[in-house]
Amino acid sequence: MIFTVKKRDGREMPFNIEKISDAIIKAFRASGELDEQIKAAQAQMNLLGNDDLLTNVALKVAADAVGHLEADNKTKPDIEEIQDAVEKALTEGGYADTAKSYILYRAERTRVREVNTRLMQTLHDITFSSAKESDLKRENANIDGDTAMGTMLKYGSESAKHFYTMMMLKPEHSRAHLDGDIHIHDLDFYSLTMTCCQIDLIKLFRNGFNTGHGHLREPKDIRSYAALAAIAIQSNQNDQHGGQSVPNFDYAMANGVRITYRKAYLSNMVKALILLTGMEEGEILPVVKKLHSEMAEMGMVATLVPNEKFQETEIRELSKTYDAEIVNKAQSFAEKMAYEETDKTTFQAMEAFVHNLNSMHSRAGAQTPFSSINYGMCTEPEARMVMKNLLLTTEEGLGGGETAIFPIQIFRVKDGINLNPGDPNYDLFKLACRVSAKRLFPNFSFQDAPYNLQYYKPGHPETEISYMGCRTRVIGNNYDPSREISYGRGNLSFTSINLPRIAIKMKSVDLFFKELDRMLQLVSDQLMERFAVQSRRKVKNFPFLMGQGVWIDSDKLGWEDTVGEVIKHGTLSIGFIGLAETLVMLTGKHHGESDASQELGLKIIRHMREFCDKESKRLGLNFSLLATPAEGLSGRFVRMDKKKFGIIPGVTDRDYYTNSFHVPVYYKISAFKKLSLEAPYHALTNAGHISYVELDGDPTQNLEAFEKIVQHMAKVGIGYGSINHPVDRDPVCGFVGVIGDVCPRCGRSEGHAISCEKLEELRKKFPGMPAFKGIR
Amino acid sequence: MSEKEMSLYGEGVGFERIRRITGYLVGTIDRFNNAKRAEVSDRVKHGV
Repeated sequence: MIFTVKKRDGREMPFNIEKISDAIIKAFRASGELDEQIKAAQAQMNLLGNDDLLTNVALKVAADAVGHLEADNKTKPDIEEIQDAVEKALTEGGYADTAKSYILYRAERTRVREVNTRLMQTLHDITFSSAKESDLKRENANIDGDTAMGTMLKYGSESAKHFYTMMMLKPEHSRAHLDGDIHIHDLDFYSLTMTCCQIDLIKLFRNGFNTGHGHLREPKDIRSYAALAAIAIQSNQNDQHGGQSVPNFDYAMANGVRITYRKAYLSNMVKALILLTGMEEGEILPVVKKLHSEMAEMGMVATLVPNEKFQETEIRELSKTYDAEIVNKAQSFAEKMAYEETDKTTFQAMEAFVHNLNSMHSRAGAQTPFSSINYGMCTEPEARMVMKNLLLTTEEGLGGGETAIFPIQIFRVKDGINLNPGDPNYDLFKLACRVSAKRLFPNFSFQDAPYNLQYYKPGHPETEISYMGCRTRVIGNNYDPSREISYGRGNLSFTSINLPRIAIKMKSVDLFFKELDRMLQLVSDQLMERFAVQSRRKVKNFPFLMGQGVWIDSDKLGWEDTVGEVIKHGTLSIGFIGLAETLVMLTGKHHGESDASQELGLKIIRHMREFCDKESKRLGLNFSLLATPAEGLSGRFVRMDKKKFGIIPGVTDRDYYTNSFHVPVYYKISAFKKLSLEAPYHALTNAGHISYVELDGDPTQNLEAFEKIVQHMAKVGIGYGSINHPVDRDPVCGFVGVIGDVCPRCGRSEGHAISCEKLEELRKKFPGMPAFKGIR
Repeated sequence: MSEKEMSLYGEGVGFERIRRITGYLVGTIDRFNNAKRAEVSDRVKHGV
């Protein structure tokens, strides 16, 4: 006799045959196999409820199942054994359809249970492991997985992913994602928002804006311009999961400098006149102020680089009240002092801006905003002052001399503007190289690359190429070709294809393309599904992004309107990873090693781009091809493929797949050759791309070589690039540079202590050294 | 040995090594996931 049952968690529970028959009843209902009999029974004797027949049959099957268990001597059966016995009893009883639906029911229960267990296991890991031992907690390096808010974010994120894969995605998309054929990025935000946006600060600042927690007036000097820029980035970050970028930092901040200079000029003019005439401020200030505002109405204002019209008019008018010689003297004094003050204020504003972006929090406090700023091409003196000071403060580093992680700075390079000696912003380009050689930023974007140049209209900064720091690029506009601009636009969502897996599975090039086509269509369908979900969101779901008119045309929508129409300006991007491994699988060599492989590589990526263009035409939207950044993804696909296909040399034998179209990081190649090989892929990946080169040692010692590499990038048609070099820092003595085993400044090795006496001695030579705590 | 000479600082404090991944900079390598750590350690320098 059976008295107890072993549950899945190992507990023994009293045996209850009705639990078994309940499940069987459900299976009969699903199959409909007894429906005819029940009807007949009902017709015969109305008194008997139809359920009774069902219950009786089910109990009979359950009893048979128990009989099987007892015959097998299973006196304490577990759930699996009971279910096996039920299946057997149903089949033997002649209920084939019901047996089938019972098996399905069983599979569904198992799936739900597994998902729940998987979710609980994930939450368990998040709770009880530290980031040091949990890869999951280090999925994104800019989120501190050990903090309370970082952990809470992870709970939400992992639970949301489970929910969407189970309940919202089409089963074929969910399966492709879970199996690692594709990767749906930012799945945790699937139904919530779009990826990123280029914020036009000039438009946003006009008439001020509302953060959702209060109204901010139009800023009135460079300090408030810079402060509000940081606040805008932070506010928008709370509406999106991807990066926040400013496409026109130079143009926008220049306006702040203009106002700051005018104010500084007025106040210095007044001071000079007070001193030179011996009169009181109360007598002078109203006169000069009135004159300046009358002149402003006629379009004459004091400018950083003095303009003759203003100078002459001011002298003529003020000389009616004061001695002409005094006015002349006062003017040159005011010009000089106002310039110096504005320069200093601008430096402080930029310093505060960088500090803010490295300390302000977003996303429930787990991280600073993913901020980027684009600049470089505005040649007006005010913009040049902004860029110079931004670069100088970046070079100096944060409070303790640390390298600022944010904002990502992107210096826009263009021939005739800043690339070559004699160009008006060439000095800033040189400075950008010097700063990047020390601090890794700025990165460089290239306006003259043909696929960027085609959109550029001089005098229209909105047509200049802008990148998100990570590499995302939005400029072309198939949905509305009259709006091929970067301002107010961004990526909606992106999904990446596991290219190496297709190569591993298909082996031949012909079959590879067939399977690639299938995968491209699958991803396109999935992006469209997500787009439909995103389109149903309303303005009120994005109080800043849409509510403050940051996203293009959102200012034409009301609070309760859906955003479906305006987000058509955004991009749906198909990404890829591991072109190098794909080529090794198909040809035996990657594109760094063989011209034939490079040719095939370009053929594959061109094919993908053509698919995107075709989908854009077909659907009237912006499909684009992305060289996926792949931070979390770099390990995910290869882990799965290793399990599925084993170790394949040059393909699955490392812990990561090579980033997008890059020549593998382990392959020895010259910087110039690497860039030349990668540049043609930039032209094809219109959703974004980046190339790196790795320099040895301290590039600040060889700025000429650094500059030459950037110029080579421009020459070969790179769209966005940067130069990597080691930037190490010893937090004890504050040294920044290359540190091998031993710190060149204080001589300590990693983890070792040095005497406070030695540190004090060093401090005499390096007064900026960080203060050390806990020691007298 | 005087008391001052005996006071030491920096025990257990590592060096910070800032590296670039996916266009972003990252504070120190210990925040990297396993795959990215492996990639960073495989990186070779490119000659100019």
